[in-house]
Amino acid sequence: IKMCADLSRTQRNLLVCERSSFLDEKNRVSSQMEQLRFNYKVSVLLPEYDSAPSHLESILNSFSSFYLIKQLPLYELLDKDFLQSAVYQGSVYGLSFRTRIDEDNCVALMPNGKHHLVFSLDKDAFETLGLEGRPSRSNRTSSRYEVTVDLRDGSMAPGGRSYLRLRRALMSHLKLQMDFLISHHPGGGASLRPLLSRCDWLERRPEVSRRGLSRLVRPALRSCDPHDLLEWIGAVDAAVSLENSSSDFLSTLTCLEPEATVSRAMSMSACGLLLPQDLQHLVEELRCYLQQAQTDSWASVTVHGFTDSPVSWGDGGRDILTGGHDLYNLLMFPDHTYRLHLATGAQKTCPP
Amino acid sequence: MEEAQVYTKVPRDLVRHLGVEPHNIPKAAKFTEAHLKQCTQQPSRLDVKSMLTHKAVLLGYSQPKRDTTRNRKKAKGLNARQKRMMKVFHIKPDHQRYELFLPLHQLWRQYVLDLCGGLKPTANPQIVQQKLLKADLHGAIITVVRSKCPSYVGTTGILMQEFKHVFKIITKEDQVKVIPKRNSVFSVEMDSFVSHIYGNKMEFRASERSAKKFKVKGTIDL
Repeated sequence: IKMCADLSRTQRNLLVCERSSFLDEKNRVSSQMEQLRFNYKVSVLLPEYDSAPSHLESILNSFSSFYLIKQLPLYELLDKDFLQSAVYQGSVYGLSFRTRIDEDNCVALMPNGKHHLVFSLDKDAFETLGLEGRPSRSNRTSSRYEVTVDLRDGSMAPGGRSYLRLRRALMSHLKLQMDFLISHHPGGGASLRPLLSRCDWLERRPEVSRRGLSRLVRPALRSCDPHDLLEWIGAVDAAVSLENSSSDFLSTLTCLEPEATVSRAMSMSACGLLLPQDLQHLVEELRCYLQQAQTDSWASVTVHGFTDSPVSWGDGGRDILTGGHDLYNLLMFPDHTYRLHLATGAQKTCPP
Repeated sequence: MEEAQVYTKVPRDLVRHLGVEPHNIPKAAKFTEAHLKQCTQQPSRLDVKSMLTHKAVLLGYSQPKRDTTRNRKKAKGLNARQKRMMKVFHIKPDHQRYELFLPLHQLWRQYVLDLCGGLKPTANPQIVQQKLLKADLHGAIITVVRSKCPSYVGTTGILMQEFKHVFKIITKEDQVKVIPKRNSVFSVEMDSFVSHIYGNKMEFRASERSAKKFKVKGTIDL
């Protein structure tokens, strides 16, 4: 029985696999993609091209820019004008930057849903701040606490009782200040101006890079095991050689069940605070592009979430025990079919 | 009549015969008195005075009785039930106003200043701390700084009553708040000295706290 208790504390990695078609009316790819709100990196793998189709590169370059605010005092997020222009209109994405989920206090600002402001606090911060919250883990010795605030609730209107209490807590009980990444869809900088005008901010664009690959051995993409597929895609993305030659001691990874060899391939990636809406636009463009390609062509899009985000899929909270991060991979084929894999390392959440 | 015959003089012709000498009346009276005294003397063993001299006398054996009238004057304390019924520690609602307690706060400030010998900025915090541990806190302005229960954090007010496990404070909005001492950290501010009190270690009645020795601990977690 003791062993079972220990096992329950180990990391859980969950992979949800789905195989369907875009033409099927029950497909929920867009809503599933929207559930992972804070995306750090997207990488696209396309076969048979040595130079990026300029169209696709321009799409990656057209991702919305985001803003990095240095040492934002968190009570500024409760400013009336900012709430009016950005939060109430929906679709502001904010995340604390360079705060580790197991050591520092993390904050996430979500676009909509029940939890707008999510704090992940350590014990001292939680006891000093004085906001209603709950421990992250259900066993008694948890040392991280989660506080969620619904900014659309009646008493959270500026001047309401909970609003004043939250403001007083962030201003006088514990003055939380941290670097903050923020982005808004579709308004961009204009909606964020009430906040940005009072802070020290930098505008950043997602960092785009591309890489050409040659002689890539690929498995049977339609039918291979999901774990093997993800391992292969990850190895290609990390530029790990899959040949397992006798002179190479660094890696013994091989491509299991190789089906064919691709002579040329292109890998493109973008890093930054990426919005789900931009990613959906990218997927749409890739689909159009695949229509004009050959029948055995394919395209793979992998999206990684932030490792230190206090929010996992949907509205689920994240915890120290989560070592892995959330990601999903969409493998598309010209006949409108796709394979979707959603992974999470969180204890309690499940990808949609 | 017989008495008169006793008192008559002895006739002259009997005097020569008996060989007695007749006295006159005063002489005879004296002689009779002395003679009677001699005859009726008590034996020496029944003489009270001789019994008492040179002897220790043991009086009766009994417990020395305490003076009960003195004890009856001291009033007996009330037990807890009587206290609750009489509501001795209950403050009436019309007395629950913040302004009424401000003079108490001024009194407390004066008391602490006297206790610490004037709180100069150069005073040693250790000494002030030691004194504050044994000081009475009624009338201090107390703020909850940290607490396991988040809703207590931030409440501030003047301390009205200190019990074994709770503080009763009155806030500026004339609200009486009862705050348990356990799992909370309170701060007492006195001019520029801020002192933090860990409630977990302070669960004593105010009267017992003045005699309590506190151990020195590095850091305390709630």
